[in-house]
Formats: sequence, structure tokens, C-alpha cells
Amino acid sequence: MRFATVAVAIARKDLMSEWRTRELVPALAQFVVLALVIANFGFQIDSHNASAIAPGVLWLALVFAGLIAFGRAFAAEREQATLEAMLMTGAQPAAIFAGKALAAGLLLVVCEAVLLPALGLLFGVDVSAGLVGAVLLATIGMAALGCLFAAMVAQLRARELLLPLLTLPLWIPFIVAGGQAVQSAMGGSGAFDQAVKLLLDFDILFVVLTSLAARFVLDD
Amino acid sequence: MSALVAERLSHWFGSDPALDSVDLLVDRGDHVAILGENGAGKTTLLRILATAIRPSSGKLEIMGLDALRERRRLRGRIGYVAHTPGLYPALTAAENLAFFCDLRGADRERVPEMLDLAGLSQVARKRASELSRGMQQRLAIARAVLHDPLLLILDEPDASLDAEGPELLVRVMKDRTTVLATHDQALATRLCQRTVVLRRGRVFGAGSRLRVVQ
Repeated sequence: MRFATVAVAIARKDLMSEWRTRELVPALAQFVVLALVIANFGFQIDSHNASAIAPGVLWLALVFAGLIAFGRAFAAEREQATLEAMLMTGAQPAAIFAGKALAAGLLLVVCEAVLLPALGLLFGVDVSAGLVGAVLLATIGMAALGCLFAAMVAQLRARELLLPLLTLPLWIPFIVAGGQAVQSAMGGSGAFDQAVKLLLDFDILFVVLTSLAARFVLDD
Repeated sequence: MSALVAERLSHWFGSDPALDSVDLLVDRGDHVAILGENGAGKTTLLRILATAIRPSSGKLEIMGLDALRERRRLRGRIGYVAHTPGLYPALTAAENLAFFCDLRGADRERVPEMLDLAGLSQVARKRASELSRGMQQRLAIARAVLHDPLLLILDEPDASLDAEGPELLVRVMKDRTTVLATHDQALATRLCQRTVVLRRGRVFGAGSRLRVVQ
């Protein structure tokens, strides 16, 4: 109960701060739309190749937007010296981590709400419920991993460089399974159900692992 | 009865010793001031006492609990004002306190009371980023006593406070064991019964307020 109260309080605080400052989401939304526009010109999209190229472009835009969103999650706390203030309350580090990951994940979902319609518009692909579901499932695991590494590198000077180096290799399972699910949802080849099950397995695995590791990363 | 017993506390940053075999005994209800020049090790000592960092070596017992093993439990009983206020700039003064109430499991109804204690009732709805440095410090002090802690650790709490600041400190320190670091010897002798002087990470001297003044 206390775990949930702390996690929700932290997520609410982060979302309220973002709503008032509008530091991250507008810039991220612009970034993902620009990435889609550039890809649209660069790949010479037509009705034949759109469903083959669009999943790759979607995941590239999502991965880089995620790196920015998760990187900011803990950098701001360290800059304001508020992470220590939170830890000094005696709240469980895993609850603090869960709250931060929840907020960062929700901010990425807001970007996805811009990204997916823009993808449909620019690439002429059908944005189905299955596609949205696959992207949301991948976001959960990506947020857990991204926030854990963001917390690890937050106090290092080279954090902008280290975060992608640490995170991207571990995001590959989500990109592979998510790419397969999205391609299948867009009418391409591949088993959608199998890919979604795999995404769910990765989510459970990484959410549990990162929650266990959070204590050592945040407090020790 | 002792509220805090530190034995041979040492801490290194890389190969540089920040604290070297510091012993400290603080009885319940005592107010102890840590004095020392810049780089003497005051902040490092206070961060260890507040359980924010672990010492490289030594033993620390706070309120009968091993502070190295029972950190989370102790944090519920310690109020800590760090060197920087550590507030959320986009949240108002009241929202900052309410957020930390949620984290501590304290009643949100304490927020107006704490704002009043810190003299911030008039600016309760102002964002922390719009408050002066002194007001931010007052807010950090109010946050430290939200949960009615038994032990207060204050790292230069007088920094940026106005002339009425010491009165606030007197109010929050009342009936609480307190260890505070300051550069202001007059403030130390006014607020504390005992003083400990650190120099280059070692205890250089200690005594009652009379002896230090002499």
C-alpha cells in the first residue's frame, strides 16, 4: 500500500512539473514528427513499401525519444538535489524508482500519441489497436530499463553518451519483438500473438529485475 | 541516554581523507554545533550522521540502532537539512511539503502548520523557483520537521536566512536532539550547549559553549 502511495505521488509530481514547465513533451513531439518527415523524404515511401519501412522508422523514432525522456528523469533530480531528499524520507528506493519510471513511461506514451497518428498520415499505414497495444507493451519494459540506466549514469559527466551505450543493447529484445508485432499488425508477415507474448515476457522479466536493482542503484 | 554514538568514523573520497577517526557522542536532547573552516569535513560528517552516505570505516549508532544497517528505519526518525534546499522548482511551497508528506506517510494536514512555523504562510501558493534563497531555506527546514523527527541534522541551516532565522531554528530545535554545522560561532554558542571543532577531517577541539568562547 505504502509502495503504491509513494510511487503514485512521485509520478504525479513529475507529471505536474512537466505540465507546468512543458520542458520535455513539446520538444519530444516535435522531434518524433521531424524524424518521420525526414524518413518519409529519405526512403521514397509509396504504397508498396510503406508497411515494410514504417515499423523500422517507428522504432528508431521511439528509441531516440525514449533515450531523451528517460535520461531527463533522473538528471533533473540530481541537478536539484531532490533525489537525496526523497531517499532521506525512508521511502523504499524501489517505490521511488517505480514512480519515476511510471512518469517517464507516461510522458513517452504522450509522445506516442503524436507519433502514431503522424506515422499513419505520413506513411499511409493503418494504425490498428494491435499496433498501439504492441507499442504500449514495449514502452513498459523500455521505461523500466531506461530509467534504471538513467539513474546509474545521472551523476556522471558523460551521461548523454553512456545512457545509449548501456541502454540500447538491452532494448534490442523489445525492438525485435515489437518490430515483429508492429509489422504483423500492419499486414506484413510474422505471428502477432507470438510477438506480443514475447513482449509481455520481456516486460515481466525486466520490471522485476530493475525493481530489485533499484535499491543498489539509487541508495548504495 | 545517548542519541548518537559515532566511533572512529572515517571517510575517503578517492585517496583524499575527508574524515579521519571522528568520535562523537550526543545525548538525547543535546544540541551540538560542528564548527570548522571550509573543507574541514563538516558536511561529510553530517551526511554520514543523516545516513545519506556510508562511512568508509567506523561505527555509528543512532537511537540504539546500527545506522549502517537500519538506514531506512532511521530516516523516518531523522530530519535532515542538506547543504542545498533540494526543492521542486515547479511545485508551490505547499505542494513541496505535501509531496514529502506523502513520501513520509505523514498527514497532509501538517502542511499549513509547518508553513506557519517557517513563516511561509503568505507564500504557500508560490512556486519554489519564485521564492528567495532564504525562503527556500525556510521551506527546507519546515520539510525536515514534517514528520516530527527525534533527531535533527542541520547543515549550515543559517545560510541565506534573515535576522529572524535563528528564531526559527530555536523553534524547530526545541525538544529535539540536534547536530548542526555552521561557520557562525555566535550562532553556535547561542543555539548549542556543546561545540565540536573539525580541522582537516579530525576533531580539533570540543567543549561546552563557555570554553569555546574563551
